[in-house]
Amino acid sequence: MDPLVLTQAINVVYGVSTLAAVTLGLAVIFGLLGVLNIAHGEFVMIGAYAAFVAQWAGWPFLAAVPVTLLVCGLLGYVVERILIRPLYRRPFDTLVATWGLSLLLREAAKAIFGRGYHSLTIPVPGTLHFLGTEYPTYRLILIAISLTVVTGLVVWYSRSRTGTWIRAMIGNPELAQAQGISVRKLASATFVTGTCLAGLAGIMVAPLVPIEPYMGLDYVLRAFFVLVVGGLGSVLGLFSGAAVIGGVNSVISAVANATYGYFTMLVLAILVMWLRPRGIVAQR
Amino acid sequence: MTKRSQGFTRRRFLGSGAALGAGAGIGIGSFPMRLAVAAQPFKIGLFIALSGPASLFGPTQRACAELAAEEINQKGGILGRPIKLYPTDAGGAPAETTKSAVRLMLEDDVDLFIGSHDSATREALVATIKGKVPYIYTPVYEGGECAFNVYVIADTPPQQIHPSVAWMMKDHGAKSFYFIGDDYVWPRKSNEYARQVIAENGGKVVNEEYVPFGAPNKFEEVVTRIKAVKPDAVLITLVGADNVNFNRTFAGFGLDKDIARLSLLLEENTLHGIGADSSRNLYSCMSYFANAPGKANQEFKAAYFKKYGAKAPQLSIIGVDCYDGVSCAKALVEKAGGTNARRCMAASQGLVFESASGPWKMYNQHVDKTMYLALCKGTEFDIIKTFPDIKHGQTCRA
Repeated sequence: MDPLVLTQAINVVYGVSTLAAVTLGLAVIFGLLGVLNIAHGEFVMIGAYAAFVAQWAGWPFLAAVPVTLLVCGLLGYVVERILIRPLYRRPFDTLVATWGLSLLLREAAKAIFGRGYHSLTIPVPGTLHFLGTEYPTYRLILIAISLTVVTGLVVWYSRSRTGTWIRAMIGNPELAQAQGISVRKLASATFVTGTCLAGLAGIMVAPLVPIEPYMGLDYVLRAFFVLVVGGLGSVLGLFSGAAVIGGVNSVISAVANATYGYFTMLVLAILVMWLRPRGIVAQR
Repeated sequence: MTKRSQGFTRRRFLGSGAALGAGAGIGIGSFPMRLAVAAQPFKIGLFIALSGPASLFGPTQRACAELAAEEINQKGGILGRPIKLYPTDAGGAPAETTKSAVRLMLEDDVDLFIGSHDSATREALVATIKGKVPYIYTPVYEGGECAFNVYVIADTPPQQIHPSVAWMMKDHGAKSFYFIGDDYVWPRKSNEYARQVIAENGGKVVNEEYVPFGAPNKFEEVVTRIKAVKPDAVLITLVGADNVNFNRTFAGFGLDKDIARLSLLLEENTLHGIGADSSRNLYSCMSYFANAPGKANQEFKAAYFKKYGAKAPQLSIIGVDCYDGVSCAKALVEKAGGTNARRCMAASQGLVFESASGPWKMYNQHVDKTMYLALCKGTEFDIIKTFPDIKHGQTCRA
């Protein structure tokens, strides 16, 4: 295969898989709990800053993982307890509340780290000879990790007992409670899982982008596009959404240019919402 | 003088302009008039990025303008009036900024505007202010602004692009160029100019490509295309986070070894974002770098760090331009003896003022400058070539 075509093909795979990874946290929070978490991007930002702090302190890159899990986990727990719990099943209210939270987190990042850009040394530099073309090693690793994490979570959700409980809670919270499932604890744990996944995605993208207080805005919009286009509450929805949003953007950007790529993505999003308002993979 | 509380009409404006003009002509020399005027501050509307993606520059813009105002006020202000700055957000949509401009003119009665923002906002502001109040535009731009009562101290394409691209072609041996930019007026006009320079020197442009301005762009596809074409150099007119993302992706794909990059808006903050591992073979050409040589910059930096300490906002051309803007305002208004539009236009021809880079002379509403070509070394700029006294190349008739 022509190396140019092949590289562009890997770009598409990269675009789709990293988009799925960045969306995963929101897929859990919005898709399962129905909470419109506008602060999703800011949790991604926290992960990126954790990676920056780890480098600044001279720790290895992976030290950012426990730091992120700690910060995003604690924050997710507190936010769910104070902000989200009184607002379950009131989607618009959660939207406004988490919008406020996103502003707060962004301002906090500004206060702590300043408004300027930070950059991270790529932990695995260089390119790898791959199927007859050169591709950045770190990006190849990201593709592998993204696919593993997303698939892993999916398998766990469909096979494990906790997954069954969550499905029961979503289907009928009262009945689930009556069955002895602690809905409150389960919802809290689900929310924390979502914020932690967002933070982990932040660590993954951190070496590739400028780390700054506004970086979350780039991710939250795309993540919502993915879920709305793909359909909520299913893995197939997540992947089809990521494939449409990320894939179409990458393919058109590769054969034409980025303006057409972005344009086509927006047109497709509008078309899907118009013709299939429940998403490509509609539930029930 | 009664406080203007109603609409700001043309008649009213002409009246006050005439009064000021008369005051300048008759009263300035006499003691009582000077006392009466001294109580009134000289109000400057300062358009800087306080919100939005460009708000990265806001703290420096404000700090530099305040430093200039403080220095001037210690020496008696402008025409004996102390400067009062009205920092106003120009980081949002142009329409929002024009609303603020109208408010500043009608309610606050500002005497002059200084703007450090993108060209889309400048065009909207020029159409709103309509030359009623002098307006000094300060950052890097595409050239061609000749509107009445507008004064531009920004770097123009003949200053930025001509020396740097010609150098890359002659001394660096670059023959083929790839253009990548954000899709708005500054990149498109700059590339138009760069195309001429490249053609004059016998080179060619292999592709010209734009990404949507303000969208969350990714650059894997663009970089792959560049890799396939293998140009000698890439001319970058991306700004802010797009500039960082592109350059990090470019280096990530390993293209930085063989292909030179010249970025037209690459200052200290952006270079920090690009980082040491992605800045090899990357050039920038501008009239100001924080480590630029010269006595004027040394003195400016000494005053800046004395006022703000070690934690002062990062110095860069976007920010220091506001210092130069306030300095230009003082020289212009004092030479014109007030803010009368026609007198200011006349005074601007041959106006000399002190910038952070030394004395600048204005003619045709623009200034000639010394330009620096810098090669990135890690996250520092290494100035490898100085182009003294480069003409602005604008043909406005004052």
